[in-house]
Amino acid sequence: MITKKDVELAGKLAKMSVSPQEADIYEGQLKALFGWVNELKAVNTEHVQLTNVTLAAHTRKDQAVTDEQAAAKLRAMFACELAGQAKVKKVL
Amino acid sequence: MTISEIISAIQNGTKTAEEITRYYLAQIAEKNAQINAFVEVFEQDALAQAKAVDAKKARGEKLGALAGVPVAIKDNILYQGHKATCCSKMLENYTAAYTATVVEKLLAADAVIIGRTNMDEFAMGSSNQTSVYGVVHNPVDTTRVPGGSSGGSAAAVAAGMVPAALGTDTGGSVRQPAGFCGIVGIKPGYGRISRYGIIAFASSADQVGVLAGNVADASLVMEVISGKDAHDSTSLEAPVPHYAQEFTKDLKGVKVGLPKGFLDGLNPTIKAQTEKAAQQLKELGAELVEVDVPLAQYSAPCYYIITSAEASSNLGRYDGIRYGYSAQDANGLADYYEKSRAPFGLEVKKRIIIGTYALTSERYEECFLKAMKVRELIREDFKKAFAKVDVILTPTSPTTAFKIGQKDDNPLSLYLADLYTCQGNIGGLAGISVPFGKDENGLPIGVQFYGPILAEEKILNAAYHLEKVSK
Repeated sequence: MITKKDVELAGKLAKMSVSPQEADIYEGQLKALFGWVNELKAVNTEHVQLTNVTLAAHTRKDQAVTDEQAAAKLRAMFACELAGQAKVKKVL
Repeated sequence: MTISEIISAIQNGTKTAEEITRYYLAQIAEKNAQINAFVEVFEQDALAQAKAVDAKKARGEKLGALAGVPVAIKDNILYQGHKATCCSKMLENYTAAYTATVVEKLLAADAVIIGRTNMDEFAMGSSNQTSVYGVVHNPVDTTRVPGGSSGGSAAAVAAGMVPAALGTDTGGSVRQPAGFCGIVGIKPGYGRISRYGIIAFASSADQVGVLAGNVADASLVMEVISGKDAHDSTSLEAPVPHYAQEFTKDLKGVKVGLPKGFLDGLNPTIKAQTEKAAQQLKELGAELVEVDVPLAQYSAPCYYIITSAEASSNLGRYDGIRYGYSAQDANGLADYYEKSRAPFGLEVKKRIIIGTYALTSERYEECFLKAMKVRELIREDFKKAFAKVDVILTPTSPTTAFKIGQKDDNPLSLYLADLYTCQGNIGGLAGISVPFGKDENGLPIGVQFYGPILAEEKILNAAYHLEKVSK
């Protein structure tokens, strides 16, 4: 059963502030939702293997640079390059 | 005017693209204050695009497949140099740095991008009441919601402000508002249309869809925007059919699946209309076959766990550093993150909390992993059903459009609005809602066809025939 404490913890993990009033609202709503989710327990999933949505093979992309112009444009965005690493601007 | 009529009028010279665009701009100017479907109209750009189409025609050049057709885009689709806010305060000042593939394709087909439409914040909702730009009103009855989250796109088409609009559909966000507003809405199967340049909500379910006044119009737009895209590795390599040319003379030989138990406990009017639709299909030559998709009843709880978990990850990028609102008065990093994420609305915060909670180490197996496994079984159920039938018929929604604010006290009942549509996203299926009759209040009822991945032509064809007999 989800509690107000769980709501506050999830908020913290998601780097969001949840006010006591919001936690009260969410607690009631989430109790109802997770009650619904509990119905999934009735389904036997013991031997289920996960696949992807389309059931198609995953596409592998060649990581080689094919567009030198685009690569040069990207490199020009950075202040400097050191040992193959781009140095980015400090943001904080 | 239908899209076909617009294209013909421009081709044969009875109208110019500029005249068409000015007509729709005037419709928007007249109706938007009441409907609130558009959050921004690209008037100057649209007129410039229309004039370019006219100039192209004057030079005798071949025109694109949607030459001069105004199309609106949902506010979560990027169009370089234009704002894309997801109708959230979080992105109120965000300007797209590049253009989504679907918009590129529309522009390459000489369509006119007329504006961006209202939506539930970050596409989370089914009533269009969570937008920072305010509620959208259903043109059929302005005291009611248009559905959501692509409520602005649906209302714009239904009100005659634009002949077609793009939406996105993660749990029914194209089909449900189409049903509520009495228009056609199609969500393709997973992978049919590129999502490059779409602001992500839940990546295993998000799809771009089309809202239009009729099935033929939706087919024309679908054909233009479908296909493999090198920028989106989830888009599938498969030829795109000429959808509007695939309509058959009748439905002889088409097997329509009716899922066992799907209509139990349903609103009697919607139940009766769905049964009537099945009978009409039979009269058109289709064979009705009962199919069993027993685990589809668990689609909604799976949907809310999986999409919320994916949203909690996708929306993690809104930390004030790269995108969106950035707090100015923070005291340390933790405080900076919290304050920068404060602009999220209540529903978005709630979904992030649901997703984060479902992904905690204590709940991961019983919530997220369980939902993922049940999803596999639901997809298996549909796969077996589609081995027997070409399409499956269901209602689009359990209710018709409800009053604005009516379900505010019980959000779980709002979540039930997606009951029949979220199955399509859980299964990765193609789905289309087509209007079929009205309820006792004169509100449109939508019925839905499902088809397997890459079988959009089958659902379009079935919807096309049903649409003909419902008029």
